[in-house]
Amino acid sequence: MQMLSDDDTNLAELSDAELDLAWDLWFDLAQSTNDADPPYTHGVFVGVTLPALKETEGTDLQRDDEAGAT
Amino acid sequence: MAGNIYFELTRAFNAAGPIAVLASGQAVVYYRVAIMSKDGDWVIRETAEACAQVLDVLAERGAVYRAGAPLDPRWLAGGWSSHFEFFDDKRRRIRCDFFSRPPRVDVARIAPLFNGVVGELLVVDLESLIRMKHTQRAKDYAVIGELAARLPPEQEIQFTTDPDRLLTLASSHQDAIARAAIQAASVGDRDGVVVALAREQDALQRIDRARVRAYAAAAAPYLAEVGTMSSADRRLPDAHARLVARAERLLPVAVAVQENVDADVE
Repeated sequence: MQMLSDDDTNLAELSDAELDLAWDLWFDLAQSTNDADPPYTHGVFVGVTLPALKETEGTDLQRDDEAGAT
Repeated sequence: MAGNIYFELTRAFNAAGPIAVLASGQAVVYYRVAIMSKDGDWVIRETAEACAQVLDVLAERGAVYRAGAPLDPRWLAGGWSSHFEFFDDKRRRIRCDFFSRPPRVDVARIAPLFNGVVGELLVVDLESLIRMKHTQRAKDYAVIGELAARLPPEQEIQFTTDPDRLLTLASSHQDAIARAAIQAASVGDRDGVVVALAREQDALQRIDRARVRAYAAAAAPYLAEVGTMSSADRRLPDAHARLVARAERLLPVAVAVQENVDADVE
């Protein structure tokens, strides 16, 4: 029984460089769903809701970076 | 050149010695099973030196702490996880998660994870990765089936979530393990295999859910305080001392997790 699609599993023949490129392209596209992502997908905080922190996470960090903070 | 930043970070963490082993979704990418994760997860060596090295690498990239335990051996040893975030030079969100006690992985299997040679990409072994994937998320069980297919048959039969593979393997490896799905497969009962796999997955998901709930409850007072910190206050390197101070007041090192929530998991 095939458990993942061909698109998911046809990675075996890629070279390391090709795999890196494929992942990089996918990662670019995946940024569009950042706002919809759950706060945690691994670790012991999966499912925890952090309303106060959510206001400062991500967007503030980007704003800081854009303002030249390091 | 474009590349996988989580692979790049793995090499940076381990530049002076093996301290961080790539796990979870990016390990699945490494094993060429699927391109599936936007985050990076590492099993970190449970030492102050390893934590300091990782914090230095992240600080150089302008990372901030996300709400989570401080990256400190005391809380890592208690099973806690630490979480960070920064944006790369293409303005992409990079999230980095660390733990030293991967769930469901025997402690004896953790030390050998770091036996890599400096310079190589340190990645968890397939069996440990499969055990880590026994989570609440349904999609992880499809991935487990693909990961298990890369194991030798005597190991694959212990972990595969593919009914057809179980039916094929059971004839020659049915004495391998007391697993209900194997017992059904050994008599050619396909419906029985499917039902046993579904029950097994459900039990594993409930166990993981109970584990995470225990940590969430223990962390509530700490998270309430950390949740009020601004991103500037959570920025490395100074943020680390701030989180440690809060954790020493509010975050218990050890969390009691009810074992065998589901006695029917096997």
